[in-house]
Amino acid sequence: MRPLIAGALFLLVSGTAAADSYEEHDYILSCSGCHRMDGSGSKVVPSLQGLQELAGKPGAREYVIRVPGTAQAPLSDERLAAMMNWLMQRFTGKAPKPLYSTKEVGRLRSTPLRDPIAERKRILNAER
Amino acid sequence: MSRLDRWFEGLTRQSARRVSRRNWLSRFGGVLVGGATLPLLPVARAAEKHTVGEDGVKGPQGDPTRCEYWRHCAIDGFLCSCCGGSHTACPPGTEMSPVTWIGTCRNPADGKDYIISYNDCCGKSFCGRCMCNRNEGERPLYHWYRNNDLNWCGGAKTQTYSCSTAIVVKTAQEPQPEK
Repeated sequence: MRPLIAGALFLLVSGTAAADSYEEHDYILSCSGCHRMDGSGSKVVPSLQGLQELAGKPGAREYVIRVPGTAQAPLSDERLAAMMNWLMQRFTGKAPKPLYSTKEVGRLRSTPLRDPIAERKRILNAER
Repeated sequence: MSRLDRWFEGLTRQSARRVSRRNWLSRFGGVLVGGATLPLLPVARAAEKHTVGEDGVKGPQGDPTRCEYWRHCAIDGFLCSCCGGSHTACPPGTEMSPVTWIGTCRNPADGKDYIISYNDCCGKSFCGRCMCNRNEGERPLYHWYRNNDLNWCGGAKTQTYSCSTAIVVKTAQEPQPEK
């Protein structure tokens, strides 16, 4: 009887997975098309694994919200803040401290970066 | 368990007393051949409409070679299922682009919304069959994050567009807000 129950449970679980949260749903729908499901990007899109070397550096907290992809994402300030807290935890292993608030995200995204690549270089070189 | 053992033992002993081996063999052969020919009979295959798709999503499979198929709600391109591939696989000789247009479609079978990834297949000249341009939830080019009029083969090795797939990523938490 036990293998039968185990089999039934397996069939139940192995169906199509549901997006676990609104954060994951928003990531899949608004980010993963270009950054890909695992965040690895492609030759034309930066990898989100690169956030590891960026996180914690002065200016990085503002940078990740002001890059065009984040600032112009079709999400409300509230949903974007929640998604970015989730995203930073997922790709850097650490949640932002303090967590992004709706207000902070709303303020930062109102001034998107004109030249994100230059800003990224500036942040990475500032510490040397 | 021992009760089952005893019942089965009784059954086999009884049949050994009653039935000759040749009789058993001929009947068993009949069952084998009969069982194999049964699906060939011209009966209505209504049950097949509710099978589970190759990626585990239930519902009327519909016809993935038609534009009206539920997963094609936001597609813009040639259907790979008409081009030697399927709605989840690229035709031979093409490569699936890693970057992709993503939207949600409602499955009429279970009423749920699914996140669909329209990965393009790249590397051969365009297929030219089953053009499907439904674009539900798409926005003009100035809303670049919800526009699909760009060559998604940009992320692949060769940038020649051939056809588009429609792959279920996950069930959605809500339908795409633009719909």
